[in-house]
Amino acid sequence: MSDKGEVDLTGAKQNTGVWLVKVPKYLSQQWAKATGRGEVGKLRICKNQGKAEVSFTLNEELTTVDTIGEKASMVRAPRDHPFTLQTVGGQTLTVFTENASGQSDAEAGGSGTGTGPDKIALEGVVVQRAECRPAVSENYMRLKKLQIEELSKPMRFSQQLDKAVTTNYKPVANHAYNLYYEKKKKEEGKRARADKQQVLDMLFSAFEKHQYYNIKDLVDITKQPVIYLKEILRDIGIYNVKGTHKNTWELKPEYRHYQNEEKSD
Amino acid sequence: MRDMKVFCCLFIQFSQVINGTSCSAVMTSLGSSSSSTTEYVVRVPKNTSKKYNIMAFNAGDKVSCSTWTQARMERDMSNRRIYGEEETQEGAAGSEFGKKQREEARRKKYGIVTKEFKVEDQPWILKVNGKAGRRFKGLKKGGVTENASYYIFTQCADGAFEAFPVHSWYNFTPQAKHRTLTAEEAEEEWGRRNKVVNHFSIMLQRRLRGQERGEEDEEEGEKGGKKKKKGGRGGDLRIHDLEDDLEMSSDESDGSNGDDDEAKSKAKKDKGPKGKGKKKKKKGSDLEGFEDSDDGDFEGLEVDYMSDESSSEEEEPEKTKPNKGEDVPKGIDEMSDSEEESEEENKNEEDGKEEEEEEDGKKTPVQVEKKKKKDSSGESDSSEDSDIEGEAASALFMKKRTPPKRGGGRGSAGSSRTGSRPGTPSIDNAATSNTLRAAANKLEQGKRQTTVPSSETPAAKRLKMEPSPQSSSGNGTPQPASGKSTPSSSDVLLTEDAVRRYLIRKPMTTKDLLKKFQTKRTGLSSEQTVNVLAQILKRLNPERKNINDKMHFYLTE
Repeated sequence: MSDKGEVDLTGAKQNTGVWLVKVPKYLSQQWAKATGRGEVGKLRICKNQGKAEVSFTLNEELTTVDTIGEKASMVRAPRDHPFTLQTVGGQTLTVFTENASGQSDAEAGGSGTGTGPDKIALEGVVVQRAECRPAVSENYMRLKKLQIEELSKPMRFSQQLDKAVTTNYKPVANHAYNLYYEKKKKEEGKRARADKQQVLDMLFSAFEKHQYYNIKDLVDITKQPVIYLKEILRDIGIYNVKGTHKNTWELKPEYRHYQNEEKSD
Repeated sequence: MRDMKVFCCLFIQFSQVINGTSCSAVMTSLGSSSSSTTEYVVRVPKNTSKKYNIMAFNAGDKVSCSTWTQARMERDMSNRRIYGEEETQEGAAGSEFGKKQREEARRKKYGIVTKEFKVEDQPWILKVNGKAGRRFKGLKKGGVTENASYYIFTQCADGAFEAFPVHSWYNFTPQAKHRTLTAEEAEEEWGRRNKVVNHFSIMLQRRLRGQERGEEDEEEGEKGGKKKKKGGRGGDLRIHDLEDDLEMSSDESDGSNGDDDEAKSKAKKDKGPKGKGKKKKKKGSDLEGFEDSDDGDFEGLEVDYMSDESSSEEEEPEKTKPNKGEDVPKGIDEMSDSEEESEEENKNEEDGKEEEEEEDGKKTPVQVEKKKKKDSSGESDSSEDSDIEGEAASALFMKKRTPPKRGGGRGSAGSSRTGSRPGTPSIDNAATSNTLRAAANKLEQGKRQTTVPSSETPAAKRLKMEPSPQSSSGNGTPQPASGKSTPSSSDVLLTEDAVRRYLIRKPMTTKDLLKKFQTKRTGLSSEQTVNVLAQILKRLNPERKNINDKMHFYLTE
């Protein structure tokens, strides 16, 4: 198994030349529909007195365009696509591949989840750039028109409903949730003052978990009336504004045991 | 015949097609001689798990993949901590109950959306050819797959083309291995760009600074650091002959802050030249402006320190005298103090001059200096002089206050300057301040240094000094010390009596007095005149009056 991050340079060494071709979106969509081994069409290279003319012809079966709406059958993707060849320019473009290899079999793994180390390989160097353009035809124009129509539709639209919506909110004497809440409160009853020692124990164990507590949270934890709780807290703790607007309680330094602080108890 | 051949080709290939497992290229070649057409099948493989990406290099970087022997590439995760908010201490100390929920609620309330840290979008770090090779950083280029798709067409063994979609595009740029300036340093250098000629030294200084920062934590303002730095720089400066020429005494006053500051400013600028070209550049820098000439001064300092000349070592303790004579902004007391100290140590004529002036409260000596400077150096230092005059004027006030107990020591002409400093300019003086005035002073001093009468210098020192000062100002040879410890008794007209007569008659400024004793008539050089006059005034100790904002002296018999 190769080192993580080690780049496989075989492509570079062999100086494999590849073409970088810019393909229109609709064409790549059609290619995605290819079946079988993935054959999508034919590339014709014509060497004409030194000038090369390249053109791509889409396979017949891939010309059907999936569109929403009525015009589906009428519109077909154009078949002829001449390539416009361009030089790479000064840029050096190389192609590298990433292979997610979580398992021993590099190919079988899912691609690029990033969980396993990727195998990176240099496939080759770009020697030619090209743009795939559709041959302008009636067909193409229709296709484009369709695309534009689709894109120009707004994402949100207003739709008239037949019936008024009555299912959402109804006026209610008292909401279910409210009733439930009040019942719960009644059950709990007023908070009774427990033993001071017990309360202290509860507090200490709470403060072991966190350093700062809101009074409301403490009331929740200890289930004591607020005034009583505050009295106890005043004994063992300090109330600090802490710079944030929340006012919190914390234990007095002498009661603290935290790892980071010097302990003094 | 030809057609037959073609046909045969076709036939053979067709058979291959039938036998072969893959749908190979159907190569059809059509006839005419000048053009040939071939057709290839294009496939878009469906099941590939490999993601194809483009690695783009800039043309100027001249990257050739074939030269790579080995390469490593991994994601640059340094941004992770920015995105993944660091969890503060969970539980126990420092944590609040329910903090996380509260934070989340707060964020939702304000609609703060924090971007996730996506590994996919992180830049790549590519290291080629190991440790000594190049490093590249590859940043993802956005928007590549939005409107059009890129495909990579590779030709397979069977002649067909396979097209793979490009997943993402990374632009790789080489990373500099050499040191670069930080933003602050770059800002500083930018401010100096018109003055600095010697650009090599900028990085050199930075490196030296870095080394020292490794030794001590503070920046180069520290004295200790400065010392070391000077030592370090001295090594670099050893080859710089110009410093010898400049005869800027090494201002190694470890005790003086001003030095540090100066050194620091020097350090940042044309320091520590390395290589021959630097010498010339140093010179150029000297001529450029006040501040640069300051540096030039300091260059000299370094070399002296490094050289084994005894004077430099002796000078060192002397230089601790922070003669802040020219340093008007400094406190009055400081100045008086400094001047007292400096009296013993400073032998610089310029110092003496200024001190004399200060002592005696005369402004004319400054003018005399100016004249002299003009004569000797022929440079337009007058502007500086006028600056110094202003300074000297206030300085004069201070000096006056202190009783002239340093009568003996003061004044280059008559002072028994036992300080062993040769007539080097009062680098301490000016070095101790960062003001432009001080810089100007130093400039003058540097230029005037050869004209130090060095009356105080013991012979040995003088000998040493004489060959060295070959000031860039082109001053003449050092003047032989005429007036050793007493005012020049050789002259006819400049005597105490004469001065007394003038002062009794009416109040005069130093300028006026000097005018009376013109150099042509007295046979003295302007310098000597000044010195002598200063001594006389010291002895007379006339009264002072401020008329028209000018300090006048007068005597009442």
